[in-house]
Amino acid sequence: MARVGVFVCFCGANIADFVDVPAVVEEAKKIKEVKYAIDYKYMCSDPGQGMIRDAIVAHRLTSIVVAACSPRMHEKTFRKALSDAGMNPYLLEVANIREHSSWVHQKDKKAATEKSSDLIRMAVAKSIANEQLHEISVPVTKRALVIGGGIAGIQAALDIADARIPVVLVEKSPSIGGKMAQLDETFPTLDCSQCILTPKMVDVASHPYIELLPYSEVLELDGYVGNYKVKIKRKASYVNFDTCTGCGACWQKCPVKVPNEFNMGIDKRKAIYSPFPQAVPNKPVIDAEHCTMLLKGKCGICAKVCEKGSIDYAMQDEIIEREIGAVVVATGYDLWDPKPYEEYGVGRYKDIITSLEFERMVSASGPTGGVPLRPSDGKIPKSVVFIKCVGSRDEAKGIEYCSKICCMYTAKHAILLHHKVHDSHAYIFYMDIRAAGKGYEEFVKRAQVETGATYLRGRVSKIYQKGEKLMVRGEDAQIGQVVEVEADLVVLATAVYPYKDNPELARLLGISYDKYGFLSEAHPKLRPVETAKAGIFLAGCTQAPKDIPETVAQASATAAKVCGLFSGDTILKDPMISKVNTDYCSGCQNCVTVCPYQAIVTEEIPLGHGSKEIRTVAKINEGVCQGCGSCVAICRSMAIDLAGFTDMQIINEIVSI
Amino acid sequence: MTKLTYFPGCSAHGTSEEFDSTLKLVMKSLDVEMEELPDWNCCGATSAHVMTENLALALPLRNLVLAEKLDNKTMGIACASCYSRMKSTKVEMDNHPELAKKINSTIVEEGEYKGDVDVKSMLQFFYEDIGTETIAGKVTYPLKGLKIACYYGCLLTRPKNITQFDSPEYPMSMDNIVEALGATATPFDFKTECCGASFSISDTEIVLSLSGTILEMAKESGAHLIAVACPLCQSNLDMRQPDIAKKRGKKFDLPVLYITQLMALAFGYPLKDLKPSKHIIPIEQALSHIGEEIATPEVKKKPKKAVEAESEVE
Amino acid sequence: MIALGQQIENKFLTAVNKKSGNNILDCYQCGKCVSTCPVSSFMDFPPREIMQMIKLGLKDETYMANSMWFCLTCAACSGRCPREIDIPRVMESIRHLAIEENVNPDDPHVKNIRKFHEIFLDMVRRYGRNYELRMMAEFNIRTRNLFKDMHLAPKALLKGKIPIGHEKVKSAKAIQRMFKLAEKLENTK
Repeated sequence: MARVGVFVCFCGANIADFVDVPAVVEEAKKIKEVKYAIDYKYMCSDPGQGMIRDAIVAHRLTSIVVAACSPRMHEKTFRKALSDAGMNPYLLEVANIREHSSWVHQKDKKAATEKSSDLIRMAVAKSIANEQLHEISVPVTKRALVIGGGIAGIQAALDIADARIPVVLVEKSPSIGGKMAQLDETFPTLDCSQCILTPKMVDVASHPYIELLPYSEVLELDGYVGNYKVKIKRKASYVNFDTCTGCGACWQKCPVKVPNEFNMGIDKRKAIYSPFPQAVPNKPVIDAEHCTMLLKGKCGICAKVCEKGSIDYAMQDEIIEREIGAVVVATGYDLWDPKPYEEYGVGRYKDIITSLEFERMVSASGPTGGVPLRPSDGKIPKSVVFIKCVGSRDEAKGIEYCSKICCMYTAKHAILLHHKVHDSHAYIFYMDIRAAGKGYEEFVKRAQVETGATYLRGRVSKIYQKGEKLMVRGEDAQIGQVVEVEADLVVLATAVYPYKDNPELARLLGISYDKYGFLSEAHPKLRPVETAKAGIFLAGCTQAPKDIPETVAQASATAAKVCGLFSGDTILKDPMISKVNTDYCSGCQNCVTVCPYQAIVTEEIPLGHGSKEIRTVAKINEGVCQGCGSCVAICRSMAIDLAGFTDMQIINEIVSI
Repeated sequence: MTKLTYFPGCSAHGTSEEFDSTLKLVMKSLDVEMEELPDWNCCGATSAHVMTENLALALPLRNLVLAEKLDNKTMGIACASCYSRMKSTKVEMDNHPELAKKINSTIVEEGEYKGDVDVKSMLQFFYEDIGTETIAGKVTYPLKGLKIACYYGCLLTRPKNITQFDSPEYPMSMDNIVEALGATATPFDFKTECCGASFSISDTEIVLSLSGTILEMAKESGAHLIAVACPLCQSNLDMRQPDIAKKRGKKFDLPVLYITQLMALAFGYPLKDLKPSKHIIPIEQALSHIGEEIATPEVKKKPKKAVEAESEVE
Repeated sequence: MIALGQQIENKFLTAVNKKSGNNILDCYQCGKCVSTCPVSSFMDFPPREIMQMIKLGLKDETYMANSMWFCLTCAACSGRCPREIDIPRVMESIRHLAIEENVNPDDPHVKNIRKFHEIFLDMVRRYGRNYELRMMAEFNIRTRNLFKDMHLAPKALLKGKIPIGHEKVKSAKAIQRMFKLAEKLENTK
């Protein structure tokens, strides 16, 4: 005979304000199998858990129902309480009367109370059919995959590798370094971006535990936490990296010029190129879209000048496979295209540039030798207007969110402009100055006081050309006057936008992304680097806009997560998986087709009744099954059941109301 | 032959007679039959919606209902202000059937609004229904050498959710038509700034200030004349120009022509058909630029910054 | 000084929101409307400040401002508003609320503008169409500014810009009935 205990939580005011908790307890007591029911302010607290433990012993309870918040929050907590009292933890059922009742029916207490009682009645009925279950232990492949070789991916790879765990680092472009490699100096200390980044890039290249795969892309990911299999495409570089010395003869002689992505198209690179002097690996690749040899079969100069014979025009893309246990996604960000700002004349005026273009110009290694120049006439600008929030915080033309880094880098740009062009002046149109970070407010003060940048509070409404100048009009709300700045150059701080291929990548990894395309973390506060899929973690701007210090911190956090996951030889897995009753299985194999994890195979068993003949039945691979239930639903002969969600449990729930 | 319901608006029979008359010539050349909306009434202009909510919808609605009695699918509207009132009433009625019913109750005798007639400005009709290619095909007297600043004003392309036509910030439809006539459209940043038309009579100071800036920028763009598609814009920029010139201490000498006058001229109608005498700023001097060679200043060296991903071989 | 904190409920905000179908709380004071508006420099309070005044519940001050009477409904602001507020609609709503509550700003410009619109509508009521010369004349008479724009008149008349005669809608009665019924609707709300 079942003896069920019901524990109803107030959740402070979260539940108690909208659900009559004592009435719910009284209602629970009326259920025949319920031998004990009680409420408490915070069931998840120590005393709350104690109440459960004590009641199990005192009332000889056979299953437990906790009516509280979502099982995603505290199911683990309560299972532990059951274990501590010597009870199998899977004899617990959680009735979610917070998210499913009190929060969504705040305007109707009576209905919320009735619904809560119904949810408890169902949970009690289900728990009666609960069986004792035990966690499954599966082996772990101790190798991590890091996708993306910007500062986030570099940091994650180095931290994981330093713990002597092998890392496969996949980068789509010819060199690692990402956006940080394009920056000149970094806020709030103004240290040279390349000077602090390149040592880390070199470490990656030389680390014995890192396998660096540049010019590569992830194609497929199969398996489950601890046991993934990844397919990677190594794009044809047409250069044999093993023999190439990176001498540079090939790109010096190559006759084909292409706009240089690394310098935002301000200058040109060759069709065979290495993106920048400190590139890692420092080996060139041939850009197949522009190489005349690959396109038309004419030229071949690079092969002629290469002393090592490293050029191989016949090279093909190569697919390789690796077994890994965890994934860190660090694909970074793209910059938002400001085209919708027609009132600024974007696309019509050459002297309106983006912040990253400005960054390349002021970089000592950049295409203009470290001096900003007007794209229209090559003159050095004296009056420069910086416009913040271009695309950011603009639901109409861009996106709702704040891009977080623009306030700081624009302050930096004002300082750098002053350093490079002494007799210049910066005008900064802003809406708010967001400088929350160590040393950030002080840095903005430096831009305002030392550099003397003029901060104007307002959004620019129009830019038009008058002679050689751009006229920038906006309100300075501080004095309530419309101002018009005569500018030589206008720099737009365009929004940080998710990496364009994120949705596709998310689909192939089986993780989720938000409406913009940022990859979603498991919990915004408490699980910021995990995804909802076990063993896949997020670092850097792939999750949301963030600056370098935050990105690095998050990357190290993913490394800690990976190391934690790999700390034992096996990992424990939930026992909520499918089981086949071979007596009923007709061997139709529909389940094999629908299983998204390839967890079902077939086996041959004797026909039975002493017959020598054999028949084919389905068999579940316990390690691979994720308990999604697809096979249960498709099985025509009802031969498959999902532990923890058996047909009997579900039927009990339905019948109870 | 295309058929079109024609809503002239009050000023077509008054201040903008030359718009009306050249429009009719142009439509004839383009093989469009215009049927004037019988017994149309004033759209209420700015005044109705400044003062009252329901009247501002009722006045245009009556015209929309009358238009539905004709067989034509589209009603073309000459005046930008009438167009704006009529189109926003249509959008409001189509999106809010309850409101439509309510307003319809003030004009029961005219009938019930169904919403099956499209409303377009003449500019939109030329651009979308006729097309620049057809227009170019009708040109017998190309306006080569003429530099024109196209001024759209506020109501032809704004608000975007109402007009659903061209860009609210930097429209190009009239520019493209002008180019189809053989003329050169100048880069003109103030093409959609408001000229202050609704204060034309009540607050002249404002009009002088707003229209003054537009004239200055049009002059700066190197234009010989301004093209418009709205009677209010025309009368403000033309009639007030001497006052503005006096106030700013400089001469503009920028005649303001309707796009239909330019089309008529290019289609081979004689100058007198443009009714030059109607203009406060004489148009002859500006039109004498037709036939001049234009030196193109923009063909210097290619800018350093290569935007297109073209490859070039040394 | 503006005293806040005594009245918690902001009825003015609710009224403006309801009438305009916008939420004034969306405004985050970026000021793009102010530098866009061609007449903001003529206004007592430019659009951004009007929004804040509504948020503070300053009904009387808002009604007495000339701002919503100066709005040209050119819709440049709403096309650029990052929070997609239909600012001309908001201006119109405040104007209608002020008319309903019979508040008249003292600004002579506003008086002129109001008078103009009244004469215009009167003309439409009588003839079904607008009759430009008569309107200009009536406006000048009623605002006691007989010689305003008189220097333009001879030229305009001579050039046939402004015709002397005028036309009527045939069904003038229908128009008059419409005016009456529309007024009735206005009052029954």
